[in-house]
Parts: sequence; structure tokens; C-alpha cells
Amino acid sequence: MIYLDKITKIYTSNNTRHVLFQDLSFEIPKGHNIAFLGANGAGKSTLFRLIAGSEYPTRGKIITDQHISWPVALATGIHSAMTGRENTRFIGRINGVKDLHAYERKVVDFAKLGKQYDVPVGKYSSGMRSRLAFACSLSIDFDIYLIDEVTAVGDASFKKRAQQALLERSREANVIMISHQIKELKQFCDSAIVINKGQLTFYNDINEGIKRYQAL
Amino acid sequence: MATLEKRTKWQIWFDVIYALLVREIRIGFNDKFGISWAVLNPVIFILVLSFLRGRLDGGETHTIPTFVFMAYGLINIQIFLQTFSAGASAIQKHKALFAFRQVQPISAILAACFFEILVKIFVIVGLMVAMYFLGIELHAANPLKIMLYIFLIWVFAMSLGILFGLMIAFVPEVKKIQLLITRPLFFISGVFFSLQDFPQSYWHVLNWNPILHAIELSRYSAYPAYGHSGVSESFLFIVVLTTTFIALSCYQIAWKQAISR
Repeated sequence: MIYLDKITKIYTSNNTRHVLFQDLSFEIPKGHNIAFLGANGAGKSTLFRLIAGSEYPTRGKIITDQHISWPVALATGIHSAMTGRENTRFIGRINGVKDLHAYERKVVDFAKLGKQYDVPVGKYSSGMRSRLAFACSLSIDFDIYLIDEVTAVGDASFKKRAQQALLERSREANVIMISHQIKELKQFCDSAIVINKGQLTFYNDINEGIKRYQAL
Repeated sequence: MATLEKRTKWQIWFDVIYALLVREIRIGFNDKFGISWAVLNPVIFILVLSFLRGRLDGGETHTIPTFVFMAYGLINIQIFLQTFSAGASAIQKHKALFAFRQVQPISAILAACFFEILVKIFVIVGLMVAMYFLGIELHAANPLKIMLYIFLIWVFAMSLGILFGLMIAFVPEVKKIQLLITRPLFFISGVFFSLQDFPQSYWHVLNWNPILHAIELSRYSAYPAYGHSGVSESFLFIVVLTTTFIALSCYQIAWKQAISR
């Protein structure tokens, strides 16, 4: 369970206040793979980062008893001057992975990087980057994985592997996902939260959520 | 699946700072010189500058060898300037890494400042080796005091780094002001001169500056005959403690919003 307790999020840029959420209280239910749907600028990514603890609400707090991953996007935490292996070790250390060697092996197997693993990430293609980022997150035991558009860049076989891995873990773990590709969302998620004008609505059936989102 | 360790807050801190430090060492110097340049560059700089000044002035400044006189000044000011700028830019530089909630701005600042002091320790060792081969006497009457002053300067620089880093996170233009005010510090902190070179009636123009106090005091600790007129240890302590207190208080208030913009 993730509980948003009266959160307010305000951005100030060029002296204009932009209120994304105002005193919002909401419970994100447990045991669902959830897609975040909403127009550009509705606050999908912000909510994502708030849940992950990457940033903090202006007021209010977010309460959870779950192990939540960092928001896995294309570039988070990956430095292009370091090799895939060094990046993996860095992420592992920060998250407190017990056995870094085993973790490295899992990541390289899952991302199928082979020899490229010891090449600086700057030389990777965007598909390889996303595979690395995704593998780093999926190889750690989280309760909830936050995934931001990463799967879109991987090739078909990688998508399949990712889906399988998430399916295998779906009993203990869930995903929350942002993507602009509806097809993608349907592959991974079963329910949806629509974000509109600072309000959240939960739909148990993802198709219902998509219908509502497209009607916006 | 990689299982996670249950860690205490302190362990997480330690792990994160360690990971950031390793990363800093790895990516800070990505050319052929590698990390050795971080040490060689200041060693050469200090050697050349001290040597030239030593030549000009015939060997002794207020009873201590001019080379040593210069070296104390340059090491202290470099520790201050580089720790300060590393600390002040750490929040901006590691912005992407705050996506990991374990990485807090203070860890990034600490890692950057630890890295600077680590490099400077190697610089000091390098200078001592150079002095040995140049036949300059290595003499320190009170080495513990010298280390204390270096530590105080480091803490002072780090605290100012925290303050400026926070301000820059809210108002990026502060970065320009930071560059503006650090430039004269090299010339007014007693690197090239001693407070004793000035008539006492002008001391108040210079002696508000705690770095000057630290530099003069460390020369005095090495060669007691140098004297410590015009500078005071308690002033240095009070300034450093106050700055640290203010920096940590501001950090406590502002860090969450600083990375939420």
C-alpha cells in the first residue's frame, strides 16, 4: 500500500506558481499492476518521482511499507563515462545489494550485453542503455517497480523477457508504469489510475481507464 | 534476484558516500593522466610558485624558509577554494542521482569534499618528498596543530559549500557571485605575505578573514619563532563553528525542497 497523505505539490518557475496537486489524499491499492494515464503535464512523472522519494511534496507526506524501486527511466543514475559493469556496481552499492558479483551476473544475463558490458555506456545504443537500466532494477528484489517508458526502446525479444520476469515475480511484486503507448501498458498492467486536474481516479480494469483517458 | 541487506541509516549513509567517492575517482579524471593529475597539478603549481618567490627574496621570510612560508599558504588556500567549490557544485552536479532516495544532497557534498581532502593529503605527501630532495629542512614544531587548522579550514569550506550549494539550487545566479567572491581570497588570505608585513593600523582590513588566521597559525605551529601577532585561534574556532551550525540548520530546513524543484 502507498498512501498519499494530503500532499500538495507546487512548482515555481519564472515567478508563476504552478499547482499540480492540492491537499490530495489517495490510496494506491496493493496487488495491482497499475498504469498511470494522463495528459502531458498532468503530473504523471511528478507523482512517480514523489512515490519513489526522488523528490518531496511541498506539504504532506507519502506513507508506505513497501520496498519501492527508483524511477527506472533511460538515464537515471547511469553515467556514460562508466562501463555497464561500473554502473551496475554503483547502483548495487547504493541500494545495499548483498552480493555485488551475483548481481552483476544477473544484470548481464538479463540485459544480454555480453562483451559490451565492459564498454563505457556512452558507446551504447539507446536500446542497450534501456536494457541495462531495466535489468539493474529488475535484478533487485523490490515490491514495486516504477518504470517510465523504458520498455519502449528495447527490441521484441527483450520486451518478452522483461514481461516474463515481471510475470514470474507478479505474486510478490507489482509494477507502476508510465508510457504513451497504450499497447505497451496493456501488456504489463491490469488496472489504471487516471490523473486529471490534480485528481486521481482508480480503475480496476485497465480498459475502462483507457476509455476514460481517451475521452478526456 | 539480488536480495537487499537490511541497513541502518548510518550504513546507508556510509554505502552511498563510498559509492559516490568511487564514482568520483572513476569519472573525475578520464584522460591518460588519470587521477595522478589531481595530485601532480597542485604539487607542480605550489613548487614553482614557492620556488620563484623563494629565489626572489633570498631564502627567509620572518625567520622561516620562504619556500615553507609559501607552501603553507598555498596548501591551505587550495584546500579552502577547491573544497568550497566542490561542495557548492555537488548538489547541481549529482542532481540525476537524487532519483535514488538513498542519495541525499549531504552525501553528495560530503563525498565531493572527502575527495578533495584525500587529494590534498597526497599533495602534501608529494610536497614533503619534493622538499626532501630539494634539501629543504622538514620541520614542524607542532604537527597536530597544523592538522587541526587544515581540518578547520576544510570544515569551514564544506559549510560554506553547503550554504552556497543550497542557494544555487534555489537561485542559480548565486553561482556567479560565488566565483566573484572567491577570486580575491587568493590574494587577501596571507598566501604571499604575512600579517606582520603590514602596519598594525591596517590589520582590521585583513583580519576578519578566518583563512588568514588559519594560514598564519599553521606557520606559527611549524616555526614558533614566526610568532602569531594579530591572529587568534579562538576567532578561527568561533567562525568555523558558527558557519557549520548555520550551514547545517539551513540544510535541515531546505534540503528536501532544494531537490524538489
